[in-house]
Amino acid sequence: MAEVIQILILGMALGGVYALMGSGLSLVFGVMRIVNLAHPVLIMAGAYVAYWAARLYGLDPLLTLPIAAVILAATGVILYKLVFEREARSAKYSEMTVLLTFALAMVIEGALGTAFTNTQRVTSPDYATDAFFIGDIFIPKGQLYAGIVSLAIISALALFLKYSRFGYAIRATTQNREAAELLGVNVNFVGLVSFAIGIGLAGAAGSLVSFVFSFFPAKHWEWIAVLMSLVVLGGMGSIFGTVLASFILAVVAAFIGAYFGATWSTLTFFVALFVVLLVRPQGIFGEKPELA
Amino acid sequence: MSGLLEVSNVVAGYGDGPAILDGANLSVQPGKVHCIIGPNGAGKSTLLKTIVGMLKIRQGSVTFKGESLKGKRPDQILRRGICFVPQERALFPKMTVRENLRMGGFSLADKSKLEKRIDEIEERFPILGERRDQHAGTMSGGQQQTLAMARTLILKPEIVMLDEPSLGLAPKIVKEVFSIMRLMADEGITILLVEQNALMGLKHADWGVVLDLGRTLFEGPAAEVLTDPRIQELYLGGKKAA
Repeated sequence: MAEVIQILILGMALGGVYALMGSGLSLVFGVMRIVNLAHPVLIMAGAYVAYWAARLYGLDPLLTLPIAAVILAATGVILYKLVFEREARSAKYSEMTVLLTFALAMVIEGALGTAFTNTQRVTSPDYATDAFFIGDIFIPKGQLYAGIVSLAIISALALFLKYSRFGYAIRATTQNREAAELLGVNVNFVGLVSFAIGIGLAGAAGSLVSFVFSFFPAKHWEWIAVLMSLVVLGGMGSIFGTVLASFILAVVAAFIGAYFGATWSTLTFFVALFVVLLVRPQGIFGEKPELA
Repeated sequence: MSGLLEVSNVVAGYGDGPAILDGANLSVQPGKVHCIIGPNGAGKSTLLKTIVGMLKIRQGSVTFKGESLKGKRPDQILRRGICFVPQERALFPKMTVRENLRMGGFSLADKSKLEKRIDEIEERFPILGERRDQHAGTMSGGQQQTLAMARTLILKPEIVMLDEPSLGLAPKIVKEVFSIMRLMADEGITILLVEQNALMGLKHADWGVVLDLGRTLFEGPAAEVLTDPRIQELYLGGKKAA
């Protein structure tokens, strides 16, 4: 029983981090219909902000988190203006963004590799290698803190979306862009801000990733399938769905890893992505896709 | 006499595609119900979308109280007092009824004023008050149409444009929808109605407009449109008004 609880706790803590990693991706898709394959490499960029802040100035990654979020959000504004805004009204926008963001991911990966080399990095605050013990059960402090901070950020985002005027505008644009525009929402501005928030969340997630996992520029390719499986299972565009899927898949992966080995744990996400697309492509909370 | 809203020789279409409106004209008189009829593809919905800024005016002009609306965004046109309820009702299915009503007053800066107006709307349309916490997407078609029309009242608009409000509704519900429209008109709101059921639309209108191939063919009192033998033959399926 203790072993099951142990695995459950480890899975839940990681699920919290995955939730933050995936929620930005989900927000950007929901509002702008951008399938952002560059999201994981932007998380890597956030991780590098935390790494160098720790290395050069001795800053804790949890303290760097808002800085990484702001830097990446600003990057998001620039990327949106340069790459995504012009084609926003194109009928094939989502399809185009797959190719655009794929190219963008390679460019950013190349830039990160040139700037920081492909050496594996990790930030090492004291708590990253420490743990709480409750009887036989241990809770790694790094994962626990990362999970708690993730959930705090997602809760703040949920409250913002639920109760603020701008949150109403974002939700309305996600559900019916044309109707939102007719009711006075400047949907282009909402798109820009939502994109910036989504990329800012990638930056925040990067700070957490920097001490939970090791990372290097090309690592983002490993994360694409993981993040896609989260947003597809949750329902493309549903942040709540992404959070729920993160916990489900992280816990399942933890159990599979514990009983069948770490290799099979990673496979959980690939299998989930495949099965969901085959059986229920709209995921848990997504809209049923319309047949052309 | 210059109308509240003037559409003059407007040419418009979707994206870079062919022009759907090809010299449309319309003069909207304050406080009246105007019904635009015409066959499928005549440009009726396109005309409303062009007025509200969803489609670009390629040629011609649209003026509201003398001010040109050319190049203005939908949110800017809304702030001038023109609301549009499109065919698909433009609701937010995963928002509650109350949240949908709040979105109706999105452009209002004063939040307490907005809540007060929503309370008034719920009083006038009790079904919306009863279902305030229900997701709009789970309501019946008639209730959704009521919500879509009631939502426009939050802003106290001067003109409300309704695109096929009876679409997909049972006859009994259609009557209710038209009575809401009449209620709005009685309060002094100018109505611009596009209705596939031309007879029904004209019967509830003061003014009739016949549009075909993107051009205005006839404008006049609704009673005249209803009794014109040529219009009856071509656009009312040969049916005479009862």
